[in-house]
Amino acid sequence: MTALLELRDVRCDFGAVRAVDSVSLDIAENEFFALLGASGSGKTTLLRMLAGFQKPTSGAILLDGKDISPLPPERRPVNLMFQSYALFPHMSVRQNVSYGLEMDRLPKAEIAARVGEILETVQLSDLAERKPEQLSGGQRQRVALARALVKRPRLLLLDEPLGALDKKLRGAMQLELKRLQHEVGITFIVVTHDQEEALVMADRIAILDKGRLVQCGPPREIYERPATRFAADFIGTMNFLPISANSGGLTLATGEPLKSNEPAPNGPSVAAIRPERLRLHEAGDDNRLDGTVRARAYHGLDLQIHVETAAAPDPVIVRITADVADRITLAIGDPITLGWSARDTRIFET
Amino acid sequence: MGERGTFRVMLLIVGLVFAFLYIPISVVVGLSFNDGGLPTAWTGFSTRWYGELLANDDILHAAGNTLIVALASTLVSTVLGTLLALGVELRRRKGHALEALIFAPMIIPDIVLAIALLSFFSLLNVTMGLHTITMAHVVFNLAFVCSVVRAALKTFDWSIVEASADLGASQITTFFRVVLPVLAPAILAGALLAFTLSVDEFIIAFFTSGAGRSSITLPMQIFSMIRFGVTPEINALATIVLSVSVIALTLSQRLSRRSVIPT
Repeated sequence: MTALLELRDVRCDFGAVRAVDSVSLDIAENEFFALLGASGSGKTTLLRMLAGFQKPTSGAILLDGKDISPLPPERRPVNLMFQSYALFPHMSVRQNVSYGLEMDRLPKAEIAARVGEILETVQLSDLAERKPEQLSGGQRQRVALARALVKRPRLLLLDEPLGALDKKLRGAMQLELKRLQHEVGITFIVVTHDQEEALVMADRIAILDKGRLVQCGPPREIYERPATRFAADFIGTMNFLPISANSGGLTLATGEPLKSNEPAPNGPSVAAIRPERLRLHEAGDDNRLDGTVRARAYHGLDLQIHVETAAAPDPVIVRITADVADRITLAIGDPITLGWSARDTRIFET
Repeated sequence: MGERGTFRVMLLIVGLVFAFLYIPISVVVGLSFNDGGLPTAWTGFSTRWYGELLANDDILHAAGNTLIVALASTLVSTVLGTLLALGVELRRRKGHALEALIFAPMIIPDIVLAIALLSFFSLLNVTMGLHTITMAHVVFNLAFVCSVVRAALKTFDWSIVEASADLGASQITTFFRVVLPVLAPAILAGALLAFTLSVDEFIIAFFTSGAGRSSITLPMQIFSMIRFGVTPEINALATIVLSVSVIALTLSQRLSRRSVIPT
């Protein structure tokens, strides 16, 4: 894999605050990459450094092997789709999209052809003469996308591209963005705080926390094998059970032994199990935990049960698929015994 | 008293306030069309006083001067005021404020500003005339244009400036193709306001026009005519000045309202 973009030890300070701290990353040609983090994690600062609006305090940003960090935004083969879309309010859709190509001083005929083509791709040909204020949120988003894509950048940066859309539209646009990326063959870097969005869209995800890179990998790896307790907590839902280590192995706070395929920890630790990996206990399960049903929530696809146990202060969350839920009756206050496998048990030191 | 009663009383108060504000003005407008020319008796509708006005060389000369001063000072103060507003806003975004200093000319009493400018010009031994009136008008117009443009900048989406740079535009191109067109309604509104203020400004013009009648402006001409009594011509003149001001102000308000609408 030859890297299109290479971040080497990139750091950015705002006064005494270190917004981005020694981040090193390689991003390949044609990749759909997500920068995932909560607000204040440094993901937007990182994006602004790639676009050229923020200078790194130290470190290098290499695009096709060349350091682009001294270049101003207008000289980088990189385009940014702004979170607010930042459409020019006084220009029509067509003028908005043409603007970037006019800046490149391309011949008029070529501009017209490329603008027509990209408007076709994002299905906006019929609205080309409208002003941004006459468009819906989803349409504006597509104009912003077309305006950035029409320049055929080496790298397209998207700042919370779906943040302003309602939930239903967001789901559709996630797949639409992925389709578009495939069609135009441009490397996408998406900044998002929405872990579900990152899991659905990205080929690889980088999780940032307090300016540091926590973990980087494909969605499945991030979800199934979180590198730290933070990553485990941040992505999806996770049950954490405090454990103690002694000569006999690991035990839960209930005194039950805990089996895991991971190496034994040094010092205080927690076991982490995904809700969908828990089930009603069956003979032969590696682990077991007794508790009482405290709440149940029907989600259509599955039934979520909150189980109060002696193993953890917080209720343990269990997801039971619809077909299993149909066969059993579980009322609030009922006793329940949960079981799970050793290979579904992560161990994190605290 | 019921709700209807309260409403009627309020309507009456509103009516009285408007009467107080507008009766003197409508008297002037009405009398300018009075054929007889006396404020005591209505002798029929006529536009003869407007005709006499056009035949009065002194008034035409003064009107010409006013137009020159108003146009020149509007032009200069619009360019400078817009740049000032942008500069201040950019500095504010970086955390430096110098706001109060700019608006001083709006707050300082005209008479103080007039004396200050007179002393200043005398100190520099400048021969006074239309150019000094123009400069003096730029001083206060600048503050008004700046404040109108600043109001529009409050809702200005700066990300479009970054978007322009991102799409490959230089700073100059961004200014002319993005910043200026988006702010245009506000800038025009500021210019119209400046023009209106300049047209009927008396005190500062009076102090900075120098000796002689060559650089007399319209308000000064009216003032000198009034010393010999209010003639019907003055009513006609006042009506024209009023119309120009009302039209310019209405346009200005429309434009500045439009520029404030978020996109």
